[in-house]
Amino acid sequence: MNFLTIFARNLKQGPQTEAFPLGPAFTPERLRGRIEFNAATCEGCRICERVCPANAIRFAKTPDGMTFDCWHNTCVFCGNCEFYCPTDAIHQTNDWDLSHVNADKFDMVEHGLIPNQTCVECGATALNTAPMVKNAKPPLSTEEYAEVRARCPKCRAKYLKNRKVPA
Amino acid sequence: MSTHNVPETFSIPVGPLHVALEEPMYFKIDVQGETVSHIDINAGHAHRGIEYLTTKRSMYQNVVLTERICSLCSNSHPQTFAMAAEKIAGIEVPERGIYLRTVADEMKRVTSHLFNVALLVHLVGYETYFMHMMQVREIGQDMLESIFGNRQDIGAMCIGGVRYDLDDKSIAYIKGALDKIETETKDIIKTFKTNGSILRRTKGVGVLTHADAITCGVVGPVARASGVDYDVRREAPYAAYDRLPLVVHSLTDGDVWSRAMVRLEEILTSIDLLRVCLRDLPGGPVNINDRPDIPPGQAVTRSEAPRGEVIYYLRTNDTPQPERVKWRVPTFMNWDSLRFMLQDAKVADIAMIVNSIDPCLSCTER
Ligand code: SF4
Ligand code: SF4
Repeated sequence: MNFLTIFARNLKQGPQTEAFPLGPAFTPERLRGRIEFNAATCEGCRICERVCPANAIRFAKTPDGMTFDCWHNTCVFCGNCEFYCPTDAIHQTNDWDLSHVNADKFDMVEHGLIPNQTCVECGATALNTAPMVKNAKPPLSTEEYAEVRARCPKCRAKYLKNRKVPA
Repeated sequence: MSTHNVPETFSIPVGPLHVALEEPMYFKIDVQGETVSHIDINAGHAHRGIEYLTTKRSMYQNVVLTERICSLCSNSHPQTFAMAAEKIAGIEVPERGIYLRTVADEMKRVTSHLFNVALLVHLVGYETYFMHMMQVREIGQDMLESIFGNRQDIGAMCIGGVRYDLDDKSIAYIKGALDKIETETKDIIKTFKTNGSILRRTKGVGVLTHADAITCGVVGPVARASGVDYDVRREAPYAAYDRLPLVVHSLTDGDVWSRAMVRLEEILTSIDLLRVCLRDLPGGPVNINDRPDIPPGQAVTRSEAPRGEVIYYLRTNDTPQPERVKWRVPTFMNWDSLRFMLQDAKVADIAMIVNSIDPCLSCTER
């Protein structure tokens, strides 16, 4: 294209730059941004912690259960955690606006808690994680799922073993 | 020593900042008048120790770490690393994954080449056209961001396949973006063939003869512009390249203009390859959906990054971390050729000639 044509076209189109911060910025749906953690669906397998190349994710045992912390300023937004997470409990939102004043830097953390519970069967204290039942055949009904979830790992295994599987 | 003697040769420092890209490389250049008579290249300003770091990370973390070696070849590094791991573990990447790897690779090539040629126009001094070319590249960058979620570190690769998938909507979107880039690139090629300012500054400048290209062992577009008809995608096909109508472009003049022209022609070829990939995209899984341990072993793999051949050596042991990862990056091979290109060049052309090898400090000094 002759440069004059480009010039005319650009005059008509106006500036190509985005108006941000005065207007919205281009943000595609798939943008890999801020990490979000959902303790309710987490299996506590800690795969995300292992595959995170930046060591941004830390799980820790506390008297209340297991805490999850993801430091946004350490995270490199690679998406490894989401990719290898078996339940999508951790995922990247398309929120990219993580600017903050220096004083807030230690608050730039995604925090979660997988609470302790008392096993309904044996009374042991165990984590209320989502049960690993993705491969159970046939799939668990909602009631069965709740029953498994209310148990400790040992009783969960026993429950699943003794589950009546219709032939 | 006589105080009246005016030395005929001056030494001028070029760099370590602001040579072509804002990357640290130091040239000590001896000039006679306006003409370069001798150059010394000095690297090592930004060593990051990534090779060492890889031995402290697990194989799965390293896919991400290798991606961060270079932002413009950021797909080729994890891909070649993953290929090495797959070779050791005997992992077969599913068909769809193979095609999607090619798609990611070629998209990155398009934007990388556009970036380099745009910078050349900037160094020629044709700022308006530079802005225009960067805007064309922005179509590609938006495409990367929309498909992969990031403009540079696209995170497409994983050991055993790819991490992303395409649906009809995204395929239609990519096709639309490619059409736009293709039209614009054809115009850019026309401009490069006819525009007086560009031709005067780049034709016959920074020549690397075929013999010198062989001596230096240059790779990628630098080699192809000097008549070395070599492209890893054809010589040792990986991903889906053995099934694609790949055209390797080579020119014989070996000057700055030829190197830019090879890159521009390669953009059009990449767009063709992308279209074929999207048309022939097979169904099925995109990866092995597993995270197997990589057994002890060693492997060498290579691929054609936008800047040329990148080679990976990987040795694993019983631990999750590799024992050694070593890579030979394209720019490392191309630096030496600057000694020949800059010989007898004009001082004003130095930045342009340095840019013409598409230098990448971040991979040279990792
Ligand atoms: S977030 Fe996902 S990967 Fe991490 S511990 Fe929970 S279930 Fe496992
Ligand atoms: S996106 Fe990457 S760096 Fe960030 S928490 Fe997940 S694995 Fe770690």
